[in-house]
Amino acid sequence: MKQLVFPGDKVADEPRRIPGCYIEDGKTYAANVSLQSDDHVVPLKGYYVPKTGDDVIGIVEEERFSGYNLALNSPYGGSLSARDTRDELKLRDAVYVKILAVNEVKEAVLIEPQKLQPGSMIAVDSVKVPRIIGRNGSMLDTLAKFTGSRITVGKNGVVHVEGGNAELAMKAIEKICRESHTSGLTERITQMLEQETRNAPRAGEQNG
Amino acid sequence: MVEKADLFKNGKRLDGRGPMDLRPLKITAGVLERAQGSALVEWGRNKVLAAVYGPHEVLPKHLADPTKAIINARYIMAPFSGQEEHGRSGPNRRSIEISKVAKHVFENAVLVDQFPKTMIDVHMEVLQSDGGTRVAGITAGAVALADAGIPLRDLPVGLSAGLIGEHMVLDLDKYEDNLGDSDMPMVILPRTGEILLSQMDGLLSREDISKAFDMIFQGAQKVRDKQIEALRTSYERMAAQAAQGETQ
Repeated sequence: MKQLVFPGDKVADEPRRIPGCYIEDGKTYAANVSLQSDDHVVPLKGYYVPKTGDDVIGIVEEERFSGYNLALNSPYGGSLSARDTRDELKLRDAVYVKILAVNEVKEAVLIEPQKLQPGSMIAVDSVKVPRIIGRNGSMLDTLAKFTGSRITVGKNGVVHVEGGNAELAMKAIEKICRESHTSGLTERITQMLEQETRNAPRAGEQNG
Repeated sequence: MVEKADLFKNGKRLDGRGPMDLRPLKITAGVLERAQGSALVEWGRNKVLAAVYGPHEVLPKHLADPTKAIINARYIMAPFSGQEEHGRSGPNRRSIEISKVAKHVFENAVLVDQFPKTMIDVHMEVLQSDGGTRVAGITAGAVALADAGIPLRDLPVGLSAGLIGEHMVLDLDKYEDNLGDSDMPMVILPRTGEILLSQMDGLLSREDISKAFDMIFQGAQKVRDKQIEALRTSYERMAAQAAQGETQ
């Protein structure tokens, strides 16, 4: 049974490290407006804070002598050393990168950049990322099947869509984010994609 | 013209309320599209709009704190918000003071250590004023922060109590504030009972203060219920819109 919890509400009698919660006097309390179901507490909104090992999409914000500063859809940015980049990057380029380390003020050191081809991009709340990907990537598979687009999702909530029916893919992603906390989302998205693609042939078939 | 003697007669206040009664309170969360979080508080004749932006990079940079986020609170009255001295635009001595105390309230309610080196803006605009706007502003700011997804220890709740003659009353309006003997706005965290703001205008005895504390703590629960209701309604509105989209 899902229920809404609000800042200050107790979610567990024992100290537990849950996102969107805090521990005080050996008990766990909600810090955000969140949906609680048994063991899970999912905040309705949140902010991305860089974490070691995350794969994210960054936008080149500044070019330095020794590398680049990237915006990460977060209050904190990241830096990418020119030594680690094979391609030369330009301002506003989108790059898929890994977070190697995060310093004490949460700024990220980035490695393994892959420059993304020009396409459509959308920055969403990072708490919605698990819903865009779906269980074992099911939602992404559905999106790719109906739109024929190549979709890259960064853990920081930046989604890059390339090729196929990008417009439809973006529309579906926006819908997922808007309705991420409601049940029956996968069916609704499938239904919407089916409806939208019914008249036009599928993007994949078009290419084939 | 209202006289002091009119404020409390036969156990009733000027507007017919009893000593413990609050003015009608309505809170709406998520009223602004562009802000990360927002709330509109309509409390009696008060109307306060709060909007939250951030956490974002600190500007000017030298203000940044590498251990925590800093809060930039801004309380201001619209030039058309009330009568008399509030009828001019821009910050003044009073609004600078209230912005400062509001900043301290939010600094102690937000989990600021989660966002080092950033800044969170909380704007509180008083559109219409009728006494008790600082507590209305902070109550609105709290809902806007929760609506923005900023982690909070609890929702800060503001409420004022004051003395009219020998009667202690809760939630003073403009006449009670101006003509009454003293007033005490307070902001608390209901879960722990922590006091985040306590100011006083006029004189109160020890007994009066402890009575005012009791009344505020009791009344604050009602305000908190309204804050929760606002956040719940905002969520249900989103869920309903999603369900509506399904049937189309």
